Amino acid sequence: MTPKAGPVAVLGKILLTAMYGIPILWIVLTSFKASGDVFDPSRTFLFRPVTTAYVEAMDATLFQALGQSVIIASCTAILVLLIAIPAAYGLARTRGWLPTVGLGLLIVLQMMPQTATVIPLFQTFSGWRLLDTTASVILADTALLTPFATLLLRPFFRAVPPQLEEAASIDGAGMLRTFASVVLPVARNGVATVGTLTFLLAWGEFLYAVNFYLTPGKYPLSALLAQQVSAFGINWPGLMALAVLTSIPILIVFSASYRLLRDGLTVGAVK
Amino acid sequence: MAQRRLLFLLPAAVFLGLFSIFPLIQLIRMSVSAVTSATLNADWVFTGLDNLQRGLDSGETGAALGRTVVFVVIVTVLGMVVGFGAAVALRTQGWWSGALLALMVFVWALPPVVNGSVWKFLLNDNGLFNTVLTGIGLRDTPVPFLYDQYWALFAVAFVNSFAVIPFNTLVYRAALMTIDPEVFEAAQLDGATKWQQIRHIMIPSVRPTSLVLLILTLVYGFRSFDFIYVMTYGGPGTATNTLPFLGYLQAFVRYDYGLGAATSVVAVVGVLVLAVLYARSIRREEADS
Repeated sequence: MTPKAGPVAVLGKILLTAMYGIPILWIVLTSFKASGDVFDPSRTFLFRPVTTAYVEAMDATLFQALGQSVIIASCTAILVLLIAIPAAYGLARTRGWLPTVGLGLLIVLQMMPQTATVIPLFQTFSGWRLLDTTASVILADTALLTPFATLLLRPFFRAVPPQLEEAASIDGAGMLRTFASVVLPVARNGVATVGTLTFLLAWGEFLYAVNFYLTPGKYPLSALLAQQVSAFGINWPGLMALAVLTSIPILIVFSASYRLLRDGLTVGAVK
Repeated sequence: MAQRRLLFLLPAAVFLGLFSIFPLIQLIRMSVSAVTSATLNADWVFTGLDNLQRGLDSGETGAALGRTVVFVVIVTVLGMVVGFGAAVALRTQGWWSGALLALMVFVWALPPVVNGSVWKFLLNDNGLFNTVLTGIGLRDTPVPFLYDQYWALFAVAFVNSFAVIPFNTLVYRAALMTIDPEVFEAAQLDGATKWQQIRHIMIPSVRPTSLVLLILTLVYGFRSFDFIYVMTYGGPGTATNTLPFLGYLQAFVRYDYGLGAATSVVAVVGVLVLAVLYARSIRREEADS
């Protein structure tokens, strides 16, 4: 039986549609407006669309920033998976005080305020002469997202029947081969979910980028946007065009992985 | 031999030891030392609890703690209540529910800078909200959402809950889907109203999920800084300086790294309490399954 929506549910859905639809609609509408039309109520919907904001936004800085975003988000996602996959499997299959402590530590690290970790990381990277490099941002993003990725992946590995592994080891496969050829394929949905999420989160991260890069010329898109929105006298169409351009890759990744995210995100929190 | 699999933990242990645990130790060392930009990479002078004392004496730490509590309460209450309500409304099959859920998850997946930018625009003096409010005659002057001492904290907290609601909805919806449909059929035959079904069937059956989600939302609100950074940068004055953001400003705007570290350590202690609660509720869930 599928439950029928009552009047209250319909009202709720109308409000939610407005709440989440209007911001998206406004970003897109504003990005196509001339500066003079932005705050003119009579031109909210009826205006002559111009692409000035996009033409102005698409300069060398933007493509440089896009490149930086792609490098940072992909390298972070790969590095996080390389570390979190074995860790999540290890935590799912071992017992005793060591994995318990490890699990507790991951929970604590996952909850650390980023504003607290940016202070000592800045000092450490400055001592190691890593400031102003893309490596520093990737390393910091990886440290930020690994605990979360490991905790989200662990239930996927717990769901792999141990009998599968026993069968493989009876057939003579070693620990690593069993893991790579038996366990990993069964848990591939989890890996894809976590990889996608890590990419999305690293794409949006800006605090490390803003502080570790000493020159705005190296900023990724998210940091560029954070810098422009805090400036005085904001050029709204320009800012919204930049927001649209920053979000298009997210839309592509999201469209390809929505089902995966919808079902995979809840595995960690609900049984 | 199962314990050999502990070797799988090695890469994570090395990496996190180097880039998470070591920085945390440095943070604690900085919090009890005099560190400015001139002495950042020199030997630090040990000053004991001086940094903490300075923060408390100036009244900044206490005020920030108070604002953090208000902020976290707003984010958590809105995030939990609206998240659950939305999950109930989106339980129904059909294109509208499906599309709305996808829209919400998409907005959740957008970078916080994008969501923060558009809300800064919508809450502007000439933005959509003020245009509607003055247009229908509810207000003569625009509401100073982002530059009034009191409004600013509420406005940023509201946008933070806006960003967390989709995740809570998704998780609650998954939990509601696990309820046996026959339970609702039986309730309907007995003449139970929609409200009674929510109160006596749905809320009790998602209780374990609620506990986990409650702690996750509390932590989310507590460590939030991105919307504050984008929408108000802690202002006007100090009106949106929550504890984690105050620590950041002290370190990177005032270049008093010692003071910023001390404030951050206070924030970290708050997180530790929540982490213990979370670990206990997770263990209980896994023991049940």
